[in-house]
Amino acid sequence: MDLLPTQDQIDIAEAAANVLASRLPIKVIRERRHLATAYPLDAWLSCANTGLLGLGLPESLGGAGCGVQEEALLFREIGRHLAPGPFLSTVLAGHVAVAAGDDQLAAGIAAGDIRVGHVLIEHDAVDPGAGLSGSITVQDWDGTEYLLVVTPAGAGLVRTASVGDVESYRSIDWGVRLGRAEATNAPFTAWVGSGDAAVFNRGMVLVAAQLTGIAEATRDMSVAYAMTREQFGRPIGTNQAVKHFCANMAVDAQRACAQLFLAAASADAGAPDAEFQTLAAKVVATDAAQANADLNIQIHGGMGFTTEFDGHLFVERVRILEHAVGSRYDSLAAIIALPSAQ
Amino acid sequence: MNVDFSAEQCEFRDQVRTWLTENKPTDPRPDHGPGIRDFDLGWQRTQSAGGWAGISWPTEYGGRGLGLIEQLIWYEEYGRAGLPSVDATFVGLNHAGPTLMARASEEQKSYHLPKILNGDVLWCQGFSEPNAGSDLAALSTRAEIDGDHLVVNGQKVWTSFAEQADWQELLVRTDRSGSKHHGITWVICDMHSPGLAVRPIETIDGGAEFCEVFYDDVRIPISNVVGEIDKGWSVAMSTLSFERGTAFTAGQVRLASIVENLIEAAKVYTGPDGKRPAFHDDEISRRLAEARAAVSSLRAMTYVGISRTARAGSPGPEGSIVKLYYSELQKVVAHLAMDILGRDALEFVSRWVGGWSGYYLFSYSQSIGGGTSEIQRNIIGERVLGLPR
Repeated sequence: MDLLPTQDQIDIAEAAANVLASRLPIKVIRERRHLATAYPLDAWLSCANTGLLGLGLPESLGGAGCGVQEEALLFREIGRHLAPGPFLSTVLAGHVAVAAGDDQLAAGIAAGDIRVGHVLIEHDAVDPGAGLSGSITVQDWDGTEYLLVVTPAGAGLVRTASVGDVESYRSIDWGVRLGRAEATNAPFTAWVGSGDAAVFNRGMVLVAAQLTGIAEATRDMSVAYAMTREQFGRPIGTNQAVKHFCANMAVDAQRACAQLFLAAASADAGAPDAEFQTLAAKVVATDAAQANADLNIQIHGGMGFTTEFDGHLFVERVRILEHAVGSRYDSLAAIIALPSAQ
Repeated sequence: MNVDFSAEQCEFRDQVRTWLTENKPTDPRPDHGPGIRDFDLGWQRTQSAGGWAGISWPTEYGGRGLGLIEQLIWYEEYGRAGLPSVDATFVGLNHAGPTLMARASEEQKSYHLPKILNGDVLWCQGFSEPNAGSDLAALSTRAEIDGDHLVVNGQKVWTSFAEQADWQELLVRTDRSGSKHHGITWVICDMHSPGLAVRPIETIDGGAEFCEVFYDDVRIPISNVVGEIDKGWSVAMSTLSFERGTAFTAGQVRLASIVENLIEAAKVYTGPDGKRPAFHDDEISRRLAEARAAVSSLRAMTYVGISRTARAGSPGPEGSIVKLYYSELQKVVAHLAMDILGRDALEFVSRWVGGWSGYYLFSYSQSIGGGTSEIQRNIIGERVLGLPR
């Protein structure tokens, strides 16, 4: 038993962090605030070329053959850097493609040639045999060939063009584009049941990873500010009111990170409690990211309420992620429905 | 990252589980009176006779000298078996014993350590004072040197099991001239000494082991000093890392069981609507799910802490994070229990017989004892995050 990342895993995470910091820093979100896509295509291709998009795909398809753990470490960095782009839906679509036997699609995803947006819809409204129908929320669809639908029962892909016109609206998050569409029997070009590929569970781990990264990043922003910002002639971090906020942020970030590692390791080991550990990771990381992103605004005072400070972007991304693979309430219902936790 | 235990470790787990199943006490543990001493020491003697005492103590002092993972497994199985928490024997096994190992003379070690391990004696702690709580170094119980003795006058407080203990790890002030961390002496006090008086304090969870201890010209041989006179602060601090991040493991496993028991209770007790079981109330079921996730994250933090200790060789200050979260989570779970039991929670039932109301009242102690949650937040802020004092 050793829950910490290996040196190889640390190296993978560092390499990912370097690419994200150089190609998709937060200022990209600001620069592209009013553009149709939140990320530049060349940066996306850099991510593909450095192996980020195929990390968990087979080497024969241009991937790196890694497990859930390495993908979790990648998505933790995506969360920490608040990187824009349809990473979650595209990476999960790669796993759908592999499970469905569509090697060409999987290879295209790993190479960065094929991007996949994300559909948000009530899970019980999805009928894989009948195609996708109903009011859907679409996320980062511009320039994508497919859209991912991921539910506890299974995951599938529909062609972006097949859901009809997408009406774009102003997203709460500057780094994520949102729109609504009325889909009518948009056929699934691929569908894999949860028995064949645990795409939903993998998605929950990767969302928990992003939220963990956010909890850590906002903790670090607050601590750095509390050390340097002076009022009444001394750093505000000397005050227990502020110091204890920071300590609480450290607790939440630590438990999100630890539970994430436990979930990822359990998933890779095929442990019998992997589903529970994953659900727990998502709930714990959601709460940690929410609490820390909130406190980060408060600790930054008036600046925290301005768009010139990055804090609001973290608050908003937490809300986006909360709905990516089932809501927090969905996860809690699933946790209590399990017979026993351990 | 991996969550697998080796074949040897799994075999060790089987051995522990089998032994605990066959040898665990069958009588309920008394919740007050001298029976506590007999029960806790008796259970310690059983473990000692079975070769399971001092699982993490070095072999030279009679322990098993096992590694971190085996410690973890022992605590996990101990908690899973539903065994009573290490209570009256805690100070001897987890505090005084390790301190003696680290800092005492060979004579002191060979006299005291086997007695602690074999369950012959109880130890208590004499650190806190009415005016030295979180600020422990402000302690003022004084000791004057008189020939080959220290003569102690003053008062200690929050001394659990003082009435039943044989020995006490006692901090006294031998020098008042320097900084407050200088001039403290760590000394072994015989609880049967003339001039020593004990007054029990009843606690809100129905316990009576809490005591005040008064010292009126209590004479302690200087040969009982551990380390050097005036240098006791470092002796007091030296034990804190002994558990290497596994100290709360049994408690965590127990807390996980408590949450599972609470889920079962919620299926029996009527919920807030007065009709259906509490389990079917949305708010209650969500809080139960949150508690399940929370105890899991506590276990995950322990595993990460052990992994880090195994790599670094010593635990980091992150232990305060686990302590803080464990303390606060127990209060959350206890409050949830009271909400689930509703009116039935109004009957006081001791936690030692599985009572929820007793556990609820006990939970208030968890964020105070062993360093308050506020002190833990100071430690995390300053030593983990590097914020200015």
